[in-house]
Amino acid sequence: MSFLQNFHLSPGQTIRSTRGFKWNTNNGNAASNDNDNYKNFNVGGGTQANELNAPANIMNHNQYSQPTRVLPQTPTKQVNSSPQQITDFNYTPSHQQPYIQAPVGTTVSSHQDLKQIVEMTLGSKGVLNQAVKLPKGENENEWLAVHCVDFYNQINMLYGTITEFCSPQSCPRMIATNEYEYLWSFQKDQPPVSVSAPKYVEVLMKWCQDQFDDETFFPSKTSGTFPNRFIQKVAIPILRRLFRVYAHIYCHHFNEILELNLQTVLNTSFRHFCLFVQEFQLLRPSDFGPLLELVNELRDR
Amino acid sequence: IANSPKKLPRGFYEKAASNKTQRLVSVCQMYFLDYYCDMFDYVISRRQRTKKVLEYLTQQKTVPSVTNESLTTEWNSYLHKENEILRKRRLKPKNKDFE
Ligand SMILES: [Zn+2]
Repeated sequence: MSFLQNFHLSPGQTIRSTRGFKWNTNNGNAASNDNDNYKNFNVGGGTQANELNAPANIMNHNQYSQPTRVLPQTPTKQVNSSPQQITDFNYTPSHQQPYIQAPVGTTVSSHQDLKQIVEMTLGSKGVLNQAVKLPKGENENEWLAVHCVDFYNQINMLYGTITEFCSPQSCPRMIATNEYEYLWSFQKDQPPVSVSAPKYVEVLMKWCQDQFDDETFFPSKTSGTFPNRFIQKVAIPILRRLFRVYAHIYCHHFNEILELNLQTVLNTSFRHFCLFVQEFQLLRPSDFGPLLELVNELRDR
Repeated sequence: IANSPKKLPRGFYEKAASNKTQRLVSVCQMYFLDYYCDMFDYVISRRQRTKKVLEYLTQQKTVPSVTNESLTTEWNSYLHKENEILRKRRLKPKNKDFE
């Protein structure tokens, strides 16, 4: 089937990295109205360090201008001795500035290239658009419940393949780009805390499972009915949290996904997820945080 | 492959080549292939069933002895059956066989 065909980058093709420091420290997309376990943050001191070490970058503030030569550097190491070209495929919104740049001529923004990947792998005839529609006469809660479980299973599968690469050492915090960190609240009345990405995913998946197992939320008997406001109280919180795992994978493990040749399944799954939440208007733009641009591309296609 | 331009964590290839990762990757690919085949199959066959039922009900409407009430009942009982099928899909242990 075409949606599962493989996609390969040609050898000369690169994606311009836009991962790195955040330049516009007070840009307007702080989704501060999402109050439960989510915050907008900056990498402390990162901007300053970058300015000190790479003044050339300032000239290149505009993302779409011709790239100028910039010494490669990483956020952790102040000086990078090997000037070899490194391309970072991980997804980063276009407003975040690169700290590594590919040579002139082969560069496209990661945003554009990712769009291309998505188009090539999933562009077929809008089959998913049709599939998310509520079947004639079906109960909306039932349709949403099935999809909550399906997306949960999909994310479980996807994240499962990169568990070796997403460790408390590699990902000490549950972040998506350097602007978003998701916190977990372990107890009611207690402030949410920062945990490692694998820990966050673990407690998130456990929490979802508990919701699914709760007969008053997800009835299993034929006679069982859904609670009042099932969508607002149960389905949306689940989907909002599941989304964060996609965000972390796209922003921090897309390289590994590419190497493992799983980009098609990831893109298919995420596109399906987006089309679904859009069809039933389940998530707000602020919920999409770091992937908002990617989501908008999917919608506008 | 060691000269890959991508920024990958230390020891990536050793881990990627491990049996465990390879198994997880193929399980994941199989899962998605199976999921989407099954999902499209469900969506398409459900539409065909609904179409047949609607055609039948439209045809029954022309029969003088059949009341609107009984047609509504038939339609609702059909929807009830579909609802049960959908609920069973949610409850079937999907990824358990893989773990
Ligand atoms: Zn991670």
